[in-house]
Amino acid sequence: MRKQLFIIIISIFLLGLVNIAGADYSGLTIPRIMYKGGYDSPRPEALRSLLAQIARRTSIEVNREPTELKLSDPNLFKHPFIYLGGDKAFEPFEEGDLKILRKYLHSGGFLFIDDNSAVADSAFDRSVRRMIARIFPQTPLRKIPRDHSVFRSFYLLNTVSGRAIIKSYMEGISLRGRTVLMYSLNDQAGAWSRNKLGDWNYDVIAGGYRQRQLSIRLGINIILYALTLDYKKDMVHLPIILERLRRYQSP
Amino acid sequence: MIELAKIFRIDLSEFDQWQINWAQGDQWSILISVALIVPPALWFFWTSLRRVGSTSKKLFLFFLRIFSFAFLFMILMRPELEFRKSNALKSHIAVLLDNSKSLSVKTFPEKTSRIDLVKKTLKFNEEYFQKLRNDFQVDTYFVSDEIKKTNYSIKNYQAHRSYTDFSRVLDALDKEYENKSLQGVFLFSDGADLTQEPGKISPSILKRLSRISGPVHTFQAGSNMQFKDLALEAVSNPDFGFIQQPVSLSTTVYSSALGNRNVTLVLKEGDRILGSKIIKIRENKKRYKVNFEFTPRKIGKRIYTLSLPRFAEEFILTNNQKEFEIDVARDRIRILQLNGRPSWDSRYLREVLANNPRIDLLSFFILRSLGDDVEAPVSELSLIPFPSNLLFDDYLSSFDLVIFQNFKYDPFIDKKYLINIRNYVKNGGSFLMIGGELSFQGGSYSRTPIEEILPVTFQETAEIFADKEFSPKINQDFSNHPVLRLEKDLNLNQNVWNSLPPLQGVNLGLTASKNAHVLAKFEDEIAGSIPILVAGGFGKGQTVLVATDSVWNWNFRNEGIGARYYQRFWNNIIDWMIAEPQTQRLQLESDKDQYREEEPVLIKFKLYKKNYQPAANTLGKLIISSRFDEIIKKDLKTDDQGEQVFSFLPKQAGFFTASIEIDNLKEKVMFSVLKDDAEFQKPLVNEFVLKKMAEISGGQYQVLDGSNDLSSFRFNKPEIKVNSYNRSFSLWDNWWAYGSVVGFLFLDWWLRRKVGLS
Repeated sequence: MRKQLFIIIISIFLLGLVNIAGADYSGLTIPRIMYKGGYDSPRPEALRSLLAQIARRTSIEVNREPTELKLSDPNLFKHPFIYLGGDKAFEPFEEGDLKILRKYLHSGGFLFIDDNSAVADSAFDRSVRRMIARIFPQTPLRKIPRDHSVFRSFYLLNTVSGRAIIKSYMEGISLRGRTVLMYSLNDQAGAWSRNKLGDWNYDVIAGGYRQRQLSIRLGINIILYALTLDYKKDMVHLPIILERLRRYQSP
Repeated sequence: MIELAKIFRIDLSEFDQWQINWAQGDQWSILISVALIVPPALWFFWTSLRRVGSTSKKLFLFFLRIFSFAFLFMILMRPELEFRKSNALKSHIAVLLDNSKSLSVKTFPEKTSRIDLVKKTLKFNEEYFQKLRNDFQVDTYFVSDEIKKTNYSIKNYQAHRSYTDFSRVLDALDKEYENKSLQGVFLFSDGADLTQEPGKISPSILKRLSRISGPVHTFQAGSNMQFKDLALEAVSNPDFGFIQQPVSLSTTVYSSALGNRNVTLVLKEGDRILGSKIIKIRENKKRYKVNFEFTPRKIGKRIYTLSLPRFAEEFILTNNQKEFEIDVARDRIRILQLNGRPSWDSRYLREVLANNPRIDLLSFFILRSLGDDVEAPVSELSLIPFPSNLLFDDYLSSFDLVIFQNFKYDPFIDKKYLINIRNYVKNGGSFLMIGGELSFQGGSYSRTPIEEILPVTFQETAEIFADKEFSPKINQDFSNHPVLRLEKDLNLNQNVWNSLPPLQGVNLGLTASKNAHVLAKFEDEIAGSIPILVAGGFGKGQTVLVATDSVWNWNFRNEGIGARYYQRFWNNIIDWMIAEPQTQRLQLESDKDQYREEEPVLIKFKLYKKNYQPAANTLGKLIISSRFDEIIKKDLKTDDQGEQVFSFLPKQAGFFTASIEIDNLKEKVMFSVLKDDAEFQKPLVNEFVLKKMAEISGGQYQVLDGSNDLSSFRFNKPEIKVNSYNRSFSLWDNWWAYGSVVGFLFLDWWLRRKVGLS
């Protein structure tokens, strides 16, 4: 009996080792970018909440621990996905930081920017647009079309939701066929964010459960897009996806 | 003439003409110089004679100076006296004898070959040509696609050249008789010029005929009457094809005087019939277009045969079959990539594969596992069912490479399909497993066919995946291995490997098999030496494992420069796995794919050791064989560079295989030696061309029966004289010419002194 108990304890310990080892490294981490001026973390529990949804709904292993990085941090290039959110104007980035960010995006990194202010033409929005214009002076932000892979990378979506629907679309920048930056004005993080007891931190504006769910789905799709790119446009997927889209979109 | 001959002491009977030649080339410069200098000099001289009272003295001195200048002018003009003998020259008559292979075709009903008809005619008219030689220079040529001068001997006259090209013949003839008097041409031929379309004569022949000054008399050897033949007149096939892609070819079948019957045209590869078509031969139709389409199943040079039945009454049987070669290549590398879950490692590898134009990628990501709650109906998801049956049963053999990237087969693939993967690799497929928690033991592959094919064995350890940062060390024994060659230069390559960013996360509990090539390792004080990159083989296939899921760091973390090496690393692995020729240990090649008859063949091979260092002084066996038997068997030893070259001269046309067996490796290469029998594809007599050539040049056209009398053919005899020899004497380069000038100048000086001038 003791022997069996010993084996069970050892087995649990070993399994634990495997899981711990796996979770430490292989988990998806989404660092939040810190910046000067404004407030870079108005939705502090949003990323953890989104990662929890990803872990629950997909096969992706996640690391839910909040991570914050400055663009100048040497660890930036360990994380191909970064998040930048805010609801106030922020100081212009230094030229060195912009250079790093430009290199990061050209080398295969992905940046998701989220305006948490929930108002149109916000101070944060103006700061973001100024920053993007400095990073890509020749490549302006463009509307992301509805047939973009981000709208079918996991869920089939035909709307851009969020805590507040400021714009019915996202904008983005693509380099050589790969979208490297996506920008939402609808406070996605506000819709994702929930506390440790499981309650939603912020009410969605002019919408309910469905609007929040669509925002979570969009968040998952954005991450899946960064991890699989145009995988869902492979020919093997197209017939089934197009058929479902046709049914899904028909009244 | 007689006086001159006496002066220069020559025999007048040897010469019949004389003339004076002046300085060549610079005559005008001398004349201009003299014209500019002499008149002012004479004028100055005349004015200097003012003090001389006597007019006769003045004139004497003046003419004395003129004589001096005249002699000087003579010397400058370098006059020569030439005595010549000229002869009358004979005009030329050219006799052109077609010696192409079609002249061997027999005529109906006598069954005399065309060439024999020509020979008979020449013999019958031997006397005529003998007489013709009295008045003309009769030059005999064998003609085909070139002209070759011969003595008037029909002993060497054989129908052996590949084909006839009248344009080239006339061109060569024109050059041969440039500046010579060609008064006429006899052309003995069947007119079978493959460049000429039926019922037409090309402008190039017309243009060249206009340059020939005399008439061209054409004599047709043979006729098309009751010419029985069934021939593959033309086969239009591509030189290259792609595996599993249909190849189209079209043929033209020619039939003559065979009546109404059905014949079968068969396409074969070796003994395997790929297709057949029935052709309904009708008396009133000569040509039939037949198209074939087939799909090559194997890579490499493949030989195909098209054949028609052979009938006893046919005049030519060799044109009933034709062999041709198609180099079947891989159009794209077909890769199946299965990802156990979306990760940065799978994302960056997919990007490399998807952006490579050589690769046809089919990738699947397991986006959700059975325990995941997607909180949406299926209709709102983009997920599709995983088609494991199709992939691992029906279409597995169509992939060149299967990649399992951090992929656990259960519950997505039935375990029985792992046996299919083993058989796929055994039969020549490639399998790559990339690490992660869901690979190797973590994917429950222990004691499965996957463990059997991989070049490692799995150990059951407490920890199967470690989250450790490490830099892989390349195995110096394999530093030359194609997978590790990120740069050609070995030192530079080593520097590149040392500069790559560290990796994080390694699969543990893997022990390299006996014949595995451990290319890179993770050396840890506690864990020991852990294989990270291992290459091996199973059956005819290749397997590789990468025991980490963090190679993507070489792309992203290397901040730009690494992306190139990241791509090259994966391309190296793929090239080695699908056995691209440049990655093979034994490389065998011929210097050409196709040779003509009597052209030497050069076979070269290179052998590398298992670690890809040149294998020097290794004995191998080279066998060269035709389709029916071995021709050459030779033991050859590699040199210091692991290379050896062998040259030989094929004695016959056909398709050959050179195979080398060395160090337990085998390689073979195919090449063909082409027989020049193109004329047998269209062996018909071309009456139209011969008639037209005669008509345009003002000659006559006759059909040979072996007893044609040529004595009525007459040619102009213009008188042409040419120098046969000559002799020249210099009139200035001698002592009396120089003495006269000096004498006149001295007399001039002495008289001037006498009359009181300076």
